[in-house]
Amino acid sequence: MAPDLRRPFPLGPRGFVLAGLGVAGIWAALYLGLQPSDLTPSTGGLSLARDFFARAFSPALSSEAAYVPDGTPGLLALSLRAAVTTVVYAAAAMSVALVLGIVLGFCASTAWWSGDPLGGRTWFGRTVAPVIYGATRVLIGFMRSVHEVLWAVLFLAAVGLTPLAAVVAIAIPYAGTLAKIFSEMVDEAPREASHALRAAGASGMQQFAFGLVPRALPDMIAYAFYRFECALRSSAVLGFFGYETLGREIEQSFVSTNYGEVWTHLYVLLALVLVFDAWSGRLRARLAR
Amino acid sequence: MKQPATGFSLDDVSVRFGAHAALRGIDLEVAPGEAVALVGPSGAGKSTLLRVLVGMVRPGAGRARVGGEDLATLTRSALRRARASIGFVHQDLCLVPNVRVARNVLSGRLGSQGLVRSTLGMVFPPRAALDEALAILTRVGIPEKLFERTDTLSGGQQQRVAVARALYQGPAALLADEPVSSVDPARARDTVGLLTRISREEGLTLLMSLHNLELAREFFPRLVGMRAGRIVFDRPSEAITEADFHALYDLDPAEVLADGA
Repeated sequence: MAPDLRRPFPLGPRGFVLAGLGVAGIWAALYLGLQPSDLTPSTGGLSLARDFFARAFSPALSSEAAYVPDGTPGLLALSLRAAVTTVVYAAAAMSVALVLGIVLGFCASTAWWSGDPLGGRTWFGRTVAPVIYGATRVLIGFMRSVHEVLWAVLFLAAVGLTPLAAVVAIAIPYAGTLAKIFSEMVDEAPREASHALRAAGASGMQQFAFGLVPRALPDMIAYAFYRFECALRSSAVLGFFGYETLGREIEQSFVSTNYGEVWTHLYVLLALVLVFDAWSGRLRARLAR
Repeated sequence: MKQPATGFSLDDVSVRFGAHAALRGIDLEVAPGEAVALVGPSGAGKSTLLRVLVGMVRPGAGRARVGGEDLATLTRSALRRARASIGFVHQDLCLVPNVRVARNVLSGRLGSQGLVRSTLGMVFPPRAALDEALAILTRVGIPEKLFERTDTLSGGQQQRVAVARALYQGPAALLADEPVSSVDPARARDTVGLLTRISREEGLTLLMSLHNLELAREFFPRLVGMRAGRIVFDRPSEAITEADFHALYDLDPAEVLADGA
């Protein structure tokens, strides 16, 4: 059959899906009654915004509070201490999330369970493995679908303002996300090397560990660094619940209308993320060599 | 690790991939220590035949025996042992590109090690293993590359790494699937020469598939010609005639388009 040259690249079903998404977006905007006039702030709101943004270029260097009790550390010391606490919470949460994410991610990858064509699948491979695979995928979906702030609300209600509650609240959704992405990275890694190891008698576990994982590892490391950066932000936000991270300093300065202090804390958070980004970029470049 | 050479035998072996018949009733005996070249056009079934011999493809009919043992009857661990006894040099090399050469070579012996021991050996290779890997790399001519990252090597050098990995297995036989399809003619000649020399010195059985009939005649005493899943001829290389060559490569147009390689 000769190709139809009048319609060289027919849109087909993909075109309908795209059009459908566009219609859904417009419908959502209409449903919410979005209109440009919503962006006009009230007079009080406008002056607050003006006061707040006016301080963007003059962050506070010392406390702006009217009364500072004796023995209170200076603003910068306070901000740096909160920054360190932010990093500590993020690091603790990420170390839990990484271990869980690797274990769950491997269990949720098809490559981990793929069988041997001639050796035949074992009894375990035919019956138990699909159950573990499916259960893991449901579990990581559930872990991911609840935001860390919601997990925090739940754990605070259950156990109170303990450090572990914050760490677990961040670690659960992060482990779920890491597991999902890790499983995809391992499944998308080229399989020739692991097939060659199979032909040389390697077991399924060995093929996975030495043929497949090394190919996915650089991507996995890069993604883990990116998630660490996200964990820094999450850890800062949990300060709004009272944890001694940058979020608590920001919230307290904000409700006291000490906007200069807010900007100081925001810049410390920005610096934290930038420094981390620069450091992880250098580390990744060294690992890639 | 040194084992006595293994022979192969295929008894009326057929393999289908969907509607495509890759092998149709293949009978082939390869004696221990023999060197045989499989020649023929793409899609003739040479790769499939080699993959049947390491248990990577299960024949739909017939028996594949390695060292007298029917692969279909082996337990998983016996199959692993059978595979570990055969070094396989793949067409597209199948190395892990982003690790050092040493790790690719050392991975050849995974088949005869348990998970714990192999993990320790891969992460912290013992000195003796590195000495051995270096000795094998010296044999294939690239000792200085032991700790280079594999993907920094040239195509010809990577091919030697693939050969080294197969030799590090301490195999009783070598299978090579078009090992020279991706390098220039001079290097192709080199590599075929290297593989035939090493298997002769070690007394290994060697079965290699090749497009290049001239190379096959130069280095192998016995040639097996394949086309469309069947063996067309099987004779000593000095007895190969012009007619045999035409029987392999004079394709009719329908066959060219139906090529399922």
